Amino acid sequence: MILIEKLIEDASHDMLNPVLNFDIAKKDEELEQIASAVSFYLRAAEYGHDTHPTIVYTSLLKVARCFEDQANREQSVSNALLQAIQYMPARPEGYFLLSRFYERSQKWQECYTFAEMGMMYTTRLDQLPADVEYLGEFVLFFEKGVSAWWLGRKEESLKIFYDLLKQDIPDHYRSTIKYNIYKIDPNAII
Amino acid sequence: MNLVQRAVSNGGKLAPLVISKGLTRGTGLMNPSVFVNDRGNILVNLRHVNYTLYHSENTQKFPSRWGPLSYLHPEKDMNLRTTNYLMKLDNDLVVTNHALIDTSKLDVDPLWEFVGLEDARLVEWENKYYICGVRRDTTTNGTGRMELSEIEIDMDSFTAKEISRLRIPAPGDDNSYCEKNWYPILDKPYHFIKWTAPTELVRTYPDEPARCEQVFHRENLSIPADQRGGSQLIKFGSLYLSVTHEVNLFRNYLNQKDAIYRHRLCVWDDDFNLVGISPEPFSFLDARIEFVAGAAILEKDLLISFGFQDNAAFILKVPNVVLVEMIQEALSYDFN
Repeated sequence: MILIEKLIEDASHDMLNPVLNFDIAKKDEELEQIASAVSFYLRAAEYGHDTHPTIVYTSLLKVARCFEDQANREQSVSNALLQAIQYMPARPEGYFLLSRFYERSQKWQECYTFAEMGMMYTTRLDQLPADVEYLGEFVLFFEKGVSAWWLGRKEESLKIFYDLLKQDIPDHYRSTIKYNIYKIDPNAII
Repeated sequence: MNLVQRAVSNGGKLAPLVISKGLTRGTGLMNPSVFVNDRGNILVNLRHVNYTLYHSENTQKFPSRWGPLSYLHPEKDMNLRTTNYLMKLDNDLVVTNHALIDTSKLDVDPLWEFVGLEDARLVEWENKYYICGVRRDTTTNGTGRMELSEIEIDMDSFTAKEISRLRIPAPGDDNSYCEKNWYPILDKPYHFIKWTAPTELVRTYPDEPARCEQVFHRENLSIPADQRGGSQLIKFGSLYLSVTHEVNLFRNYLNQKDAIYRHRLCVWDDDFNLVGISPEPFSFLDARIEFVAGAAILEKDLLISFGFQDNAAFILKVPNVVLVEMIQEALSYDFN
């Protein structure tokens, strides 16, 4: 296992290198040194702006994740996600995370809208350099399904959930969907 | 070349100063102050804050909602709160113990939004440990004064408790708004360099009533940039050393604040005459905001403790060969 001090010592000759800053940030996040991770992710984004687009995009999503982790910094979470989307609008991850952010804030129209927007870009497959909790196109449908119910679109919501259950999705999503269907229609046969 | 690279490529070492997220909730650890006592124990005062500093660098494409430099405190708590941890390191600079300094005996409800003792330097004077920093929460307008907090340390159980607190008036009529970054002289109890150049040396006292007097004020120095307090003033052979900072505070066209901090090594003679200063400022890790609050000699090497963007804390061992070079560079500076 590479130690954080070794990473930084090795990077000290080239501290404006976005890849090295990104690697330090990932290590900080792993060590739960969240404020430090913000520093290095933001440096990766700023110094990589013209040269390392996926590093920049991922870093901004990670900045949002860090502020979410610290809690009670909602303006900073949404700002970082909007910056990621603005920087690379033809990828789905930022839309999903913003949709989920609005779901958690119970801002249902925003949740629905950003889920819908993300669905326009789900064919892009090249991988990001770190996990940003985007598990595939289905997560956008999930957000749309949840927000649809709160927006009065009960039938649309149920249809999305039943369609999702036909897909190969992770267990925690499957159980949540079943729970949601039960809450919508206790007599439903799942 | 930044100082970490220079030190490490000559046999030095960088070490992070961290404590677990369970204690910090993931917010900033910053501006550590290292001190080595006469038993060889490496102690550090580490500042923990309830915010994350957000600083866009380079061309600032991704500012926060409040600009390129913001203190991102909890959105439901406007206060910028500081607590201090005492740490003990082994000779490899690995943290072996840490404890929150218990200030409960002397804490009162804060009257302003900067809460706690900020950027405290750790010293031992007359067999008592003190942390000396600025406190701004005792008035409704944020007046800052240096405070001398005596810390009782139990090395066995590794606990630290503040047992007295003295708010130091400014010398003279005590009408300034904010006094901070006075740097303590380790082998001259209760004395501080209040200002580097012109040099102002002041004396305080550990007992009531709190008082402070100017020992001398020397006007005769021309230095490359205004130097503000950083590390303690430490003895090295026949010289004294301090690491000081200079800051460029500015605003962009939207009137949003921004800043760049850099450091220099200052060299002093036995009479506290400034006799050398790094001709060029240096950075530690090329961040625009870094801050030194401590230095110590360990064997023949120099330990410097510094904060990185208010979000991370490090200690750097500068090997003797680099330290001697830095002193020579400083002594080569032409004050005329």
